[in-house]
Amino acid sequence: MKLDRRSFIAFGVGASAGVAVTPIPWKLMDDLSIWTQNWAWTPVPPDGEASYETSVCTLCPGGCGITVRKIDDRVVKIEGADGNPINDGGICVLGLSGPQLLYGPTRITSPMKKIKGELKPISWDQALSELAKKLGNMREDGKAGSLACISGSDQGTVPEIFARFLKAFGSQNFICEQSSADTYKITNQKMQGAYAAPEFDFANADYVLSFGSGLLDGWGSPVRMFQANSSWQNNNTTVVQVEPRLSNTAAKADQWIPIKPGSEADLALGMAHVIIKKSLYNNAAISRTTDFNAFKSLVLGKSLDEVQNVTGIEKKVIEKLAKDFINPKKRSVAVAGKGQGTTPGSIREIMAVQALNALAGSINRKGGVFTSRSADYINWPAIVMDRIATDGIRKKRIDEAGTGKFLGSRHLLNRLPKVINAAKGSPVEVMFIYGANPCYSMAGSKAVNKAIEKIPFVVSFSSYLDETAKKADLVLPNHTNLERYEDVYATSGINKAVIGLSRPVVQPLLNTMHSGDVIIKLANKIGGSVAKAFPWKSYKACLKQTLGNSWNPLMKNGFKTVVSSPVHSGRFNFAPLVKYSNSVVKAEGKGGENVTLILKDSIRLTNGYIGSTPYMMKTVSDKVLKTDKKKKMFYSRIEINPDTAKGLKLADGRYATITTSKGSAKVMVTCDEGIMPGVAALSRGLGHTAYDGYLKDKGVNVNNLIGPVEDPVTGLDAAWGIMAKLTRA
Amino acid sequence: MDSVLFPKGVKRCSLPMFLLGLIPVVLVLLWGVYAMLLCWIKGLNQTNMNDSYGFALWIWADLAVIAIGGGAFFSGLLKYVFGKDELKNIINYAVLIGFICYSSALLILAIDVGQPLRSWFIFWHANVHSMLTEVAFCLSCYFAVLTIEYIPLILENRKLNEIPFIHNMSHNMHGAMAVFAATGAFLSCFHQGSLGGVPGVLYGRPYAYREAILVWPWTFFLYTWSAAACGPCFTILVTKMTEVITRKKLVKDKVIHLLAEISGWMILTYIIAKIIDTIYWAQVTAPLMGFHWTEFFDSARSSLTYHGQWILYLEIIGCGIIPALILITKKGRQNTGALWFAVAMATLGVCINRWTMVMQPMAMPVMTFDSWNLYLPSWQEWATTILPVAYGIILIAISYRYLPIFPQESELNPSD
Amino acid sequence: MKEGHHHRKEKKFGMVIDLDKCTGCGACMVACMAENNVPFKQNETDKLDSITWMRVYKFDNGKKFPDTEVCFLPRPCMHCEGQSGHSGHSPCVSVCPATATDYDTDSGIVSQIYTRCFGCRYCMAACPYHARHFNWWDPVWPEGMEKALSPNVSPRMRGVVEKCSFCFHRYQLAMDEIYAKGHRDFDEKVPEYQTACTQACPTDAIVFGDLNNPNHEVNQIVKPDHNHRLTGKSGNPKVFRLLERLETNPKVYYLSSREWVRRAGDNYQGEETPENYKVKEVHH
Repeated sequence: MKLDRRSFIAFGVGASAGVAVTPIPWKLMDDLSIWTQNWAWTPVPPDGEASYETSVCTLCPGGCGITVRKIDDRVVKIEGADGNPINDGGICVLGLSGPQLLYGPTRITSPMKKIKGELKPISWDQALSELAKKLGNMREDGKAGSLACISGSDQGTVPEIFARFLKAFGSQNFICEQSSADTYKITNQKMQGAYAAPEFDFANADYVLSFGSGLLDGWGSPVRMFQANSSWQNNNTTVVQVEPRLSNTAAKADQWIPIKPGSEADLALGMAHVIIKKSLYNNAAISRTTDFNAFKSLVLGKSLDEVQNVTGIEKKVIEKLAKDFINPKKRSVAVAGKGQGTTPGSIREIMAVQALNALAGSINRKGGVFTSRSADYINWPAIVMDRIATDGIRKKRIDEAGTGKFLGSRHLLNRLPKVINAAKGSPVEVMFIYGANPCYSMAGSKAVNKAIEKIPFVVSFSSYLDETAKKADLVLPNHTNLERYEDVYATSGINKAVIGLSRPVVQPLLNTMHSGDVIIKLANKIGGSVAKAFPWKSYKACLKQTLGNSWNPLMKNGFKTVVSSPVHSGRFNFAPLVKYSNSVVKAEGKGGENVTLILKDSIRLTNGYIGSTPYMMKTVSDKVLKTDKKKKMFYSRIEINPDTAKGLKLADGRYATITTSKGSAKVMVTCDEGIMPGVAALSRGLGHTAYDGYLKDKGVNVNNLIGPVEDPVTGLDAAWGIMAKLTRA
Repeated sequence: MDSVLFPKGVKRCSLPMFLLGLIPVVLVLLWGVYAMLLCWIKGLNQTNMNDSYGFALWIWADLAVIAIGGGAFFSGLLKYVFGKDELKNIINYAVLIGFICYSSALLILAIDVGQPLRSWFIFWHANVHSMLTEVAFCLSCYFAVLTIEYIPLILENRKLNEIPFIHNMSHNMHGAMAVFAATGAFLSCFHQGSLGGVPGVLYGRPYAYREAILVWPWTFFLYTWSAAACGPCFTILVTKMTEVITRKKLVKDKVIHLLAEISGWMILTYIIAKIIDTIYWAQVTAPLMGFHWTEFFDSARSSLTYHGQWILYLEIIGCGIIPALILITKKGRQNTGALWFAVAMATLGVCINRWTMVMQPMAMPVMTFDSWNLYLPSWQEWATTILPVAYGIILIAISYRYLPIFPQESELNPSD
Repeated sequence: MKEGHHHRKEKKFGMVIDLDKCTGCGACMVACMAENNVPFKQNETDKLDSITWMRVYKFDNGKKFPDTEVCFLPRPCMHCEGQSGHSGHSPCVSVCPATATDYDTDSGIVSQIYTRCFGCRYCMAACPYHARHFNWWDPVWPEGMEKALSPNVSPRMRGVVEKCSFCFHRYQLAMDEIYAKGHRDFDEKVPEYQTACTQACPTDAIVFGDLNNPNHEVNQIVKPDHNHRLTGKSGNPKVFRLLERLETNPKVYYLSSREWVRRAGDNYQGEETPENYKVKEVHH
């Protein structure tokens, strides 16, 4: 058939009309829209049976109770456990994003060994046998003392197992990360004769004076502190924050007193000057102290003008502050330790603040500060040490803690890099790293990394491929917090002690092993007296036996409240403060710097062993972290006062270079009226070089810019800032 | 080669020459198509829009092309309803420009929505309270009308017209055109207004919000009026540009001047209404919402910022009062330079109006702790916005070459 | 089914957030993300394309150092009831061309149907609170992390708008449970339905419940005045709503003891104060 043009057109029109009246195009349209609603690459979460399990969060030392919502065997949500004495239903950003840590791609999937510079998966058998052999040889060679362990904590059974292993093995070098609580312990030892952590009775205080403590920025048990803030609002408790910048804590305080960073002790002594000069102090309390007169002449020896000069706070403000604090009608308490308190800080500062508490009669008094009892439920039989162990233990600690100059200090992790780097060969042969990420979180990263690299054999127990695990020779991944048993002892800010039990809510997803079990197995492989020190079949058996009668209630509720009577402490002694009154910790600097760099802590960013989660990163303000216009490079934002910016020819959003004696970084400027002129602040918790695209290469790690500064008395890291040069980039 | 397809009695350049001339335009078109595909395949992350700037360049382009495409309905209205028969000499071109503008708007909308495959939900799950629903219905209907108005023109192609069926169909369609034109004019009045309602009903956005007469905010009427006023200016502008490119006179001055004069009076009355609207908005509407009208403009650094006050003056004075005055005076519209200037400014004016009504409400802070947002379109947005221009040029070029768009062409350019 | 529901009283779920208590910790934001399968990207520094159903704003009193003060303000969807006289004429609901967002008169919740939304973003243009977010990207969960997704809320696809739903699925679960127990309605004293943010907030700054229920804390704090020209205006002088003058009639209220914070809730000119400002004449 010949198809002419006319019939072709007619056919075309007819066909179109024909198709249009059939359901085909309409069905197709419908199908396409249904397709857009069911894209295969958009996940559909499978439904299942919902259940809830109670546990305790171990992602920070806070010890919050959690309720884990599961669908079949998947964890889909974590909520704060109602009725828990610590957090009563509340929860923080880190605890909430626990499932992201559990299921996240940065977890280590199996034991790994470094072969030709790369971590390769191996079996647990091989890993433990090789390690046991290595350690056995060390003992035979008389090098037991060169085993060391860095631990994120010394609380609870798991750190105790590590410490016990080292002791049975023959090494003193169980070295724990230290915080301001440790400086407090040394302070309490020297001033009250009790090596005990402070216990602030915030709930009963009428007046809280904080010397830069980030009470609402992740200090202590963070959720507990948020709740304390609400009770302060309800009870009309006055909160005064002394700090160079308007932190969240300062923002919620009734009064913010900006202070030149590093002069907090001077302010406390200046306040003492006012209080003593006008005899406003609590006479009854002072009569029970020692060496008050020496203290009196110390503080009166310094005029208020001098204090005004050093602190940058006007005399009349200091006078008013002193009078408000000492008001006999109010239960006042003063607290020190900057930010989250993760840096031990200056002992002079903490002593000076404790002296204020003494003047107000707030030591061991309701609404004041107590010396708290430490956990006493771990009572294991004494270790029977063999000859090797006894010999090894005689070698002095590598960090020199507890000896000579640093007699009062128990752990000086901050000194370790210096010691290792200064030695000819590495004094540490094998290093265990548990619950810590020193390559990221310790001040002076460069020296830390160098020291870790110098150690011949590093064993990481991390669950995540963090900066330190990447450098390890052997990785023995621990279960995550939702897969393992662990006890948590929490006291901070609660005025009662709570034992919490973290327990597995899901079966371990990956080829990981509880670090407690790893150590028990390792000890058994080494044999002899080392094995005998660990009479338990497994970590769970150890924990169950340790907790004894508490096990059942803990399994039921997740927590057990222990009413702790305060530790008996002696008369408050002012003498140590007088003795150390010149032990000022200054910011490092070579001269020629134009700003003082300080660090800021935020509850929305972690800065220790656990990395921030994708959800947490999402909550980080664009005033803290920002990309360039092409959205490629991430820059930490440095917070400065607009006046500072003006003087340095900088402006909000401009790039700048910050240089200290430790390093240099390109940053972006944030102008904020909430910071003192002359001071610059950078957030901690950024600038990771490990983990995944959600956390890696985002801004600068402030630990690259700041170094540890040894407190002249304790040897602990007391760095609160560093002198820096800020220039246009 | 293709001369058998040319309209009777006119000269056209050679086919290779014609194709050569189209190459750069086709390249721009392909660039636009590439950007369009990127947006469809990769999604709207290809744009620089964001959660604060959900409406941006594309929505502006939609509102603007429909406004300047308003020449089709208004000249149709004048010719078929008000009997300005003279305009038959430009109406074909007005229809073609309108067709291009409306099809472009539909294309841009198809790129702009996040789920184009579901866009028919606007009809299926229609929310009658939404101005956008009103727009969608009227826009599709009027586009159908424009297609019906454009088809007879295609059928008038010399070769096609030789087919008796087509000849008859074309003839009959011409006969019914008055009905379509009137329908179109009604639909168009309505949806130009609905488009005005799109920003006008946003009572959460103080810059855009206008109080209502019956159910429609003032902008409903202002948009129809401004499209009727400025659309013909764009028709004149494009006609003038076509004349420059083809180096031929295509439409008699008398026709142009008639349209220009009507436009002039329309612009003048519109701009008076717009000034009243602006004053009421600044003095009554804004203060009730807690704003001083100057806060609607970003004047943090100077008045010459991206979202500064200058744009208001440019729109009302430079692109409103001045072109109106030129066009209503005989001397003005008969001066070629002044006419060019006036129609260009009037076209720009209506585009600026649509621009400020889309961009300013998105950019300005409403919550006191918000700040001004600066938005610059991505290249993909520019390319897809320029795409219709290239498409328009090609369609005009082909239509001009093969269809009797300009009835006066052979008379004005007698072949020797 | 429908008829059985008639015995239920019409509810108006709303929230009051105590800004004195809010410390800006961000728990509400993360609780919301985890509860509602909100996606996350590797770069969330551009807050204008960051999907945050709940966002905590931080703003200051505009004063220079050292007189600066700061306020944190959590911003969920306001679930606006809209201009008085037209219940459910919310700024966004009234403009959605495809009825993909709706005002549920039973609960007062503004819903969003993701599978119906075709992504025109008119609702976003209409909302002055930036409470609506567009899925500019396909949501991507790192391998394995999709296990943490909740089956109660469907993940959204690219190209649609999403926003806070007052955890509507929790309301549905609560109602299911109530019916299963043979009851008809919430026990007035027991808050059986809470949003994820309310539950997570460690400071108890958020109180959520039925504004129509005089026995509920939220009603007692807010004391909504339905006869006021601005429907639902709080009778508590410390309580305010955001942009109340626009007549959006939000159901999220804020409480602050600080005058400058209350003032920051809306726009005022010259001598105007939150207690005394120009109002439109109402013609009856």
